[in-house]
Amino acid sequence: MFNVTQSVTGTIFDVKEFTVHDGPGVRTTVFFKGCPLTCIWCHNPEGMDTAPTLMVRNTQCTGCGLCCRPCTHADCRPFGRCLHICPKGLVKVAGRAVGAGELVTKLSAGAELYGAGGGGVTLSGGEPLLQPEFARAVARGLHENGIHTALQTSGFAKADTFASVLDTVDYVLFDLKLAHEDDHRRYTGVSCVPIHKNLAHLRESGKPFVLRIPLIPGITDTDENLTALSALAGDDPVELMPYNPYAGAKYPTVGKVFRYELPEETEERSPETLAKLFRRARVLR
Amino acid sequence: MTETLYTMIRNRAHRAVRRAPLAEIAHEYAHLGLSPIERMTRRFEMLCREEIPVILDAGEKILFVRTVPNLPDIFTEEEWAERHRDHFIHENGYVSNLSPDYATVIAKGLDAVRAETDCPETRRAIDALCNLSDRYRDYARENGREDAAAVLDVVPHYPARTFREALQFLRILHFGIWLEGSYHNTLGRFDKYMYPYYAHDTENGMTEDEALDLVCDFFLACNKDSDLYTGVQQGDNGQSLVLGGTDADGREVYSDLSRLCLRASEKLNMIDPKINLRVNRNTPLSVYEEGSRLTAVGLGFPQYSNDDVVIPGLEKLGYAHEDAADYAVAACWEYIIPRVGADIANIGALNFPGVVDTALHHSLKNAETFDEFMADVRRAIGEACDAIIASVDRADVLFTPHPLLNILFGCDISKGAKYNNFGIHGTGVAIAADSLAVLRDHVFGDKTISKEAILAACDNDFMGQEELLAFVRSECPKMGQDNDSVDEIACDLLHTFSLALRGKTNCRGGIWRAGTGSAMFYLWHADALGASPDGRRRGEPFGTNYSPALHTRTDGPISLIRSFTKPDLTETVNGGPLTLEFHASVFRDPDNIPKLANLVRYFVSRGGHQLQLNTVSKETLLDAQAHPENYPHLIVRIWGWSAYFVELDKPYQDHVIARQEYSL
Repeated sequence: MFNVTQSVTGTIFDVKEFTVHDGPGVRTTVFFKGCPLTCIWCHNPEGMDTAPTLMVRNTQCTGCGLCCRPCTHADCRPFGRCLHICPKGLVKVAGRAVGAGELVTKLSAGAELYGAGGGGVTLSGGEPLLQPEFARAVARGLHENGIHTALQTSGFAKADTFASVLDTVDYVLFDLKLAHEDDHRRYTGVSCVPIHKNLAHLRESGKPFVLRIPLIPGITDTDENLTALSALAGDDPVELMPYNPYAGAKYPTVGKVFRYELPEETEERSPETLAKLFRRARVLR
Repeated sequence: MTETLYTMIRNRAHRAVRRAPLAEIAHEYAHLGLSPIERMTRRFEMLCREEIPVILDAGEKILFVRTVPNLPDIFTEEEWAERHRDHFIHENGYVSNLSPDYATVIAKGLDAVRAETDCPETRRAIDALCNLSDRYRDYARENGREDAAAVLDVVPHYPARTFREALQFLRILHFGIWLEGSYHNTLGRFDKYMYPYYAHDTENGMTEDEALDLVCDFFLACNKDSDLYTGVQQGDNGQSLVLGGTDADGREVYSDLSRLCLRASEKLNMIDPKINLRVNRNTPLSVYEEGSRLTAVGLGFPQYSNDDVVIPGLEKLGYAHEDAADYAVAACWEYIIPRVGADIANIGALNFPGVVDTALHHSLKNAETFDEFMADVRRAIGEACDAIIASVDRADVLFTPHPLLNILFGCDISKGAKYNNFGIHGTGVAIAADSLAVLRDHVFGDKTISKEAILAACDNDFMGQEELLAFVRSECPKMGQDNDSVDEIACDLLHTFSLALRGKTNCRGGIWRAGTGSAMFYLWHADALGASPDGRRRGEPFGTNYSPALHTRTDGPISLIRSFTKPDLTETVNGGPLTLEFHASVFRDPDNIPKLANLVRYFVSRGGHQLQLNTVSKETLLDAQAHPENYPHLIVRIWGWSAYFVELDKPYQDHVIARQEYSL
């Protein structure tokens, strides 16, 4: 079994088994904490910051006030809230440090199941490329245990960082959001130039991959953007991900404001119509 | 199956044919001093007379629908009290939850069965049923339904020759035994005993569509009277049906007919019949995929049973191989044997968290080590089992006689059969294991929790001990998280349960079987119990059947499956499934069907005994609770059966919603 000689640790905010939209077969997805992008439609706001994030599931909160009373726990100090007192378990921190070896052992428990259906583990986030050393250690560990590993990424990273992590994984789910630089900066906070460079490298590498486009009404889901992305995608396989109306659900729990507003009039297009804009696309449902 | 008929049944419009309820008869029967068998026979004759032949739709192929809405009781309240005083009366006192042998009767015809019996009451019951059937035949003929009349010219008098005749015969028998007053007797291994008729017709030109249409018509018929067949809640009606598995020689039973049944159920999208799928290590992935397509519809079935665990488990209990291999599933999940089994699989329930609570209050103070305390827990399990046994065995078990039902068992089934074993459910094993882990790790282990503190917390429902509550409830390991340190306690508890019953005989000469089911006890047991050391608050229900505590957070179904397949489940084959809840969105994409199929196969390969899969979204359930009028057809799985959500009492609705917290 896997043995990490170097004790690499990283920060993750979740592990979810049987994630059916994160690559082929039965998969478990591990969510890396921190993302360089600030997409306004992001549905995982607790994954944005690299630092641990306080999460309070307010909808079930009875306002008992227990968590606001002073406490002596060291780990509560940064948050000004007591993490160890909520009777309903609503006060949590997203983001915990974990050793690569420990994580690999945990993720390898389902190896027999993954193998049976062409599945495996997906490194997602957040952005795994923000923790390249950790991502490589986890991927190598999984590889040694015979587990297919996928990388789900925004593609936003330095070229050598991207290349070094790419070397360790079997499959890539590569996000494309907006084709034009100005729009990209406006809605995701970063330039798309490094992303396009890394895409070029991905193509040259020969690694199997799929391009993933979130369909955000009024932003990415416009004829103009999709046509431009279609040209960029060319003959590569594409998965189109419809907008999830619950995307903003977690913002209040992390004290953030969901800035995206669904346009009042959205164009209803059938999956078939959408797919036709691309040469090789399928709509995830 | 015509669209008109389907719509009519779905909208319950056919219930308009029902007549006013019949008046009470028990006092007259008591006044006449009639014997129990005479009362059963007389009532059945009366009910058959009172039934009015109805054809709901010109395209209805499988006839018989109830027009009499009630069965007046045969005993007065005083007589029931007397029976309860002198005997052990199981549930309603009528035979229930068995798997009748329809095949033999369908192959013989009732005239031949009548000629063979020397029981005059059975002959009278057969005559009454045949008379009703003859009136149906004449009514069909008078109304231009020569097709239906021709079928009734043959069955139930004579052996069925065709698939349609066999289905109509089965419908008449099933209708008849309900009308006689037995309940929750299942449809059994449908694809096994119906196959010869299906194969005969297929060889003679029946197309797949024609066969599917007949199966749909039969399945639809199971929904005509099901609201009259109630148990604890609407939907709890025992119409379960088993597909697949092997026969005594190990040959696969799963066939094209099994496949058609899954398709028919998917097409119908109604709660009956409830499909169980028997699988084993040789079952191809394609079968799981076919099952998964039905799961995706959201009916809460098929429920899977693993032959590789159940058959050896039954053999360990003393069932002969050919009988064990022929197992069927009772109303919910209990394993029963067709024809030769008169087991009472739900005669009692062991309350695991209750046992822990007892030990907590009696032995915690004096126990010096966890091992010492655990020995007391094991002793308490033994004592709880002995108490259940004593409460049943204080007198003989008495059922009313069933002259008609007897023909489907070839004996007086009220007196028992080849197997007369009693089954005991085991509720809340996960909560018990979680609680014991807290005691082991923190009361005896690092001693961060004092004995007094945990006792006080359980007695005061953790009032004023919020930090302790948060710690045990949210930060300690739970069964369902694939954590060996908790799961090994569950293994111990289930093994102890099974040992506690081993070698014990019951008043009918049978043995006792341990199970992992809960039935309604997940609410009843929980109601009667204070808070538990795992942080379960007073009044909070357990998980249904063999499932994690409702407040358990897991990474998903792989961890759940791994945790719940660690115990040796051949020791708990009274049954009781692990339930996995999936958000409905998982199944929007047909590409996810093979993924689910692999997951189920994983469960089977790891030695799970029984698995239930639910698909439903919490948002939908909450909206349905607020606006029931908008959701007349929303189906959910309760403990061993599927029901229409809006027809359930609120505590059951709330539990289904709470379960979504660990929805995947």
